Amino acid sequence: MESGHKNPPRKKPIEGSHVTDEGLVTHPKAAEYRHAYAMPVEPLWFKRAVFYEVLVRAFYDSNADGCGDLRGLIEKLDYLEWLGVDCLWLPPFYDSPLRDGGYDISDFYRILPEFGDIDDFVALLDAAHRRGIRVITDLVMNHTSDQHPWFQESRRDPDGPYGDYYVWRDTDTGYPDARIIFVDTEESNWTFDPVRRQFYWHRFFSHQPDLNYDNPAVQEEMLGVIRFWLDLGIDGFRLDAVPYLFEREGTNCENLPETHSFLRRIRKIVDDEYPGRVLLAEANQWPSDVVQYFGDPSVGGDECHMAFHFPLMPRIFMAVRRESRFPISEILAQTPEIPSSSQWGIFLRNHDELTLEMVTDEERDYMYAEYAKDPRMRANIGIRRRLAPLLENDRNQLELFTALLLSLPGSPVLYYGDEIGMGDNIWLGDRDGVRTPMQWTPDRNAGFSQANPGRLYLPVIMDPIYGYQAVNVEAQLNNSTSLLHWTRRMIEIRKRHLAFALGSFHDLGGSNPCVLSYIREYNPPDGDKPDIVLCVNNLSRFPQPIELNLRQWEGYVPVELTGRVPFPPIGELPYLLTLPGHGFYWFQLSPREDAQ
Amino acid sequence: MSVGASDDNRALVFQLTDALATWLPTQRWFAAKDRPIARVEPVSVAVLHHREDEDPVRLEHTIQAVSFADNGEVQLYQLFVGYRRILPERLQHVRIADVQEDGHWLIAFDGLWDDELASSLLPLMASGETRNGVQFATEPGMSIPKVTSSRVVDTEQTNTSVIYDDAAILKVFRRLVLGTNPDLELCRALRRVGCPYVPGLLGSIEGGYAGEQVTYAMLSAYAVNSADGWSMATASVRDLIAEQDLRAHEVGGDFAAEAYRLGEAVAAVHGDLATALGTSSLNSDGLVALSGAMSSRLDAAIAVVPALAQYAPAVRTAFEAIHDLTPPVPVQRVHGDLHLGQVLRTPTGWLLIDFEGEPAKPLSERLRPDSVLRDVAGMLRSFDYAAQHLLLTGDSDHQREYRALEWTERNRAAFCSGYAAVSDFNPAEQRTLLRAYELDKAVYEAVYERQHRPAWVEIPLRSIARLTQQLT
Ligand SMILES: Nc1ncnc2c1ncn2[C@@H]1O[C@H](COP(=O)(O)OP(=O)(O)OP(=O)(O)O)[C@@H](O)[C@H]1O
Repeated sequence: MESGHKNPPRKKPIEGSHVTDEGLVTHPKAAEYRHAYAMPVEPLWFKRAVFYEVLVRAFYDSNADGCGDLRGLIEKLDYLEWLGVDCLWLPPFYDSPLRDGGYDISDFYRILPEFGDIDDFVALLDAAHRRGIRVITDLVMNHTSDQHPWFQESRRDPDGPYGDYYVWRDTDTGYPDARIIFVDTEESNWTFDPVRRQFYWHRFFSHQPDLNYDNPAVQEEMLGVIRFWLDLGIDGFRLDAVPYLFEREGTNCENLPETHSFLRRIRKIVDDEYPGRVLLAEANQWPSDVVQYFGDPSVGGDECHMAFHFPLMPRIFMAVRRESRFPISEILAQTPEIPSSSQWGIFLRNHDELTLEMVTDEERDYMYAEYAKDPRMRANIGIRRRLAPLLENDRNQLELFTALLLSLPGSPVLYYGDEIGMGDNIWLGDRDGVRTPMQWTPDRNAGFSQANPGRLYLPVIMDPIYGYQAVNVEAQLNNSTSLLHWTRRMIEIRKRHLAFALGSFHDLGGSNPCVLSYIREYNPPDGDKPDIVLCVNNLSRFPQPIELNLRQWEGYVPVELTGRVPFPPIGELPYLLTLPGHGFYWFQLSPREDAQ
Repeated sequence: MSVGASDDNRALVFQLTDALATWLPTQRWFAAKDRPIARVEPVSVAVLHHREDEDPVRLEHTIQAVSFADNGEVQLYQLFVGYRRILPERLQHVRIADVQEDGHWLIAFDGLWDDELASSLLPLMASGETRNGVQFATEPGMSIPKVTSSRVVDTEQTNTSVIYDDAAILKVFRRLVLGTNPDLELCRALRRVGCPYVPGLLGSIEGGYAGEQVTYAMLSAYAVNSADGWSMATASVRDLIAEQDLRAHEVGGDFAAEAYRLGEAVAAVHGDLATALGTSSLNSDGLVALSGAMSSRLDAAIAVVPALAQYAPAVRTAFEAIHDLTPPVPVQRVHGDLHLGQVLRTPTGWLLIDFEGEPAKPLSERLRPDSVLRDVAGMLRSFDYAAQHLLLTGDSDHQREYRALEWTERNRAAFCSGYAAVSDFNPAEQRTLLRAYELDKAVYEAVYERQHRPAWVEIPLRSIARLTQQLT
């Protein structure tokens, strides 16, 4: 163990949960494990952080079994630190039959064996914390795998201690107003269980029965899970599928008041017992609805600290294709203020498809036509592609999109591999096409694994444009003009300016609809100098002029942030800029005397 | 400080009469540049703002009657004249002349460009004051924003608009016509019925002349973060033309969804205008008169653009087809000069602006109820313009022309479907009347282009050729 902790010699605990002869499911205690080195408590770190979503399976294989693991991820932390990542988001690594990418958890207290064990996880936390990197992971609260011992006990013994852990009914007619989410595979939210001879409720796949949160024991169980991982030292959770925890007849069973009060309970535990840890809500809904998940603004928010801004992402794609800022301006204008201790999470791509739930039918047809010409690129209501192929590997667009991600309001979440412009494999089923091994080197298996290539969990990308021989970390590290170096530089610039993370957002408009420009302004509470950043983005592929009304900053000098070149001072006339096709500028606005 | 009538009698603008005779013709909005001026005469003067301290400023409102050497029609112009002892560099370009007050020299200039002076108008509006016949008013239920800065829109031809912070825009009419300006009248009516597709009207400045009401200026909510339809549409066309082998609906910059929403907005405004100001109908005499007016316009146009003559028989046939329509044909107040430059895309949707009607027409005609198809035709012509004008520059080949036509057709159809989704009919189905309005508009455009942008005259001429071909 590379940690310098002096832990008393101990017996290795029995991994995971077990069913006793009496039909009781027992769980290990956090006290049986080592705890990770704790980073200093910084309550609002997540507002300034750059997040990086990494799939353990896909990042690095340390033991040549063809599958990435926690030890492998530890080996690559130096790379992530170099890139400027502040927080890793790991999709679920719990034990699972893996019928839904690990979101079907069969044991909350056990790590998927091919990833390692809890000791490995603590070692990861430890090594990450020592580099100033935090780690959060998904916690699926709404449901479990049907393989979970709770469910197995529940179907076997309706009157036993787990009989009421799930939502069982004699008929499949309840909650008719709840929509079906996975329309491609599921016909109903109810499925008949031949063992118990009753129907069980599931908002997602039929192999993922919903937990019954009306049962206080279930609530306590889940609080126990949360405490277990927080005790080990994890920095927070992305709470998966939060809107669906409770169900009530006559409603669509989403966003119910009971769900919110349970979230408040979790938040209170975090605030009281684990300050500095973060709760990130996954609620794929309109911002005006999602804000409820931040909780009461009068106390700065008392539910989740963060929530993903889902509708922004498809609109960025739409705006650039339509060469019009309005899709973005529109959604940001509709985005309400959020409580003071809250932050949006924003992203361009993640391990799921590019979801188009938050767009109109017309816009969805448009997105399919533009970005998913081949039907294989579509999945459920979305597009399963990575950033680079979505943008036809156009470096200018990749930079423009990344610049938008790093400058629009919210904490950016990068998706592993997008920093080098990795491709996808639309021939792989479901969403696996965007989950292929990270491309480290031009060597065998892209340097991801020493295993025989046939044993890899998914084949590495091999096509001439995106294949690992053309696109890999090693080559891009050696080339200072690579996308990787560029991305790192932009992250670094972002971190130098608190305006990006904490600043207000002011859309400047302007008569040219192809140009999206905005001011991010942060006024430090201690009365220090305000940090003002001007971002100008040309969404068109053609060069464009823009006249900006910057009178409010008359006398200020725009200093371009990548090269620190001062531009002509802002006068009282509209400020004229010209941008190349898909070009963008970031400026700091400095009072004239500071700009020298 | 308060100002009384005696101040008005001693207004400094009386000293400017000679200076204005040379200054007025240099102004963009002066409509008679080629008519030598015989005399400029103040017919109304009011002191609006007056500060006496170490840096005295003054604002005077005046209407000047301009008579011409040709003894033709007298024109009335409205000025807000500012006075300062020292004129900052940035106001030098609107300097008029120097005047004297109590032995001191003051510089007279166009006061709308001065932050302090332009901003002094809003409190007068908020408190509903009247200054020597100049009536400031707040619209019922609206409030006038408190503002800190102002700037003049620099692109206008006929009026001068002042934007206050990002809160309000004051449109000051330069050349005054007797009678309420239709822009103010229609915006008032639309505000009354709560129409969301126009900027909210906040206040007005009005007065009287020769016993008639005269509109001086109107203040509307400013649509922040807006762009006009023309720049949106041309961005889309540019995208298409760069993409030789893709069709309009395949190109990323497709505008059809916007055109559809625009159709919805226009239909909603028409519905609201009908609700607010009523509808009437044209009987067969009215239809004959309508077609007659179009035909006379054609005759006059041929004199200016002889190339129109070859299409004249076909165009006339299209106009005469109106006679065969079954009356009554519904009419109502309409926008009158609708095109892509008169619509603003905002983050929440489309807004229609500038309800003055076609500027070349006399006021009485602009107030006349007309078919909503007049506006629809204006917008459809505008789609054609947006597509065609990009072909003027650069070598146009058959491929590009074909694509441009496709773009036009796609967006015209989308606009009409959007319109139909809100109103109870699809304008594209009213072929006879719509075509007549389109041709009438194109004829007007031919004249306008011949006089202002000769290189563009091909656009309306080609459209006329196309529209008349479809007829046979
Ligand atoms: N409510 C508003 N919000 C934002 N911009 C506006 C608003 N009203 C007008 N504008 C902008 O101000 C400019 C002038 O507006 P408008 O067309 O009403 O003036 P105009 O005097 O009729 O113009 P012209 O003299 O060129 O015919 C236009 O560029 C328009 O985009």
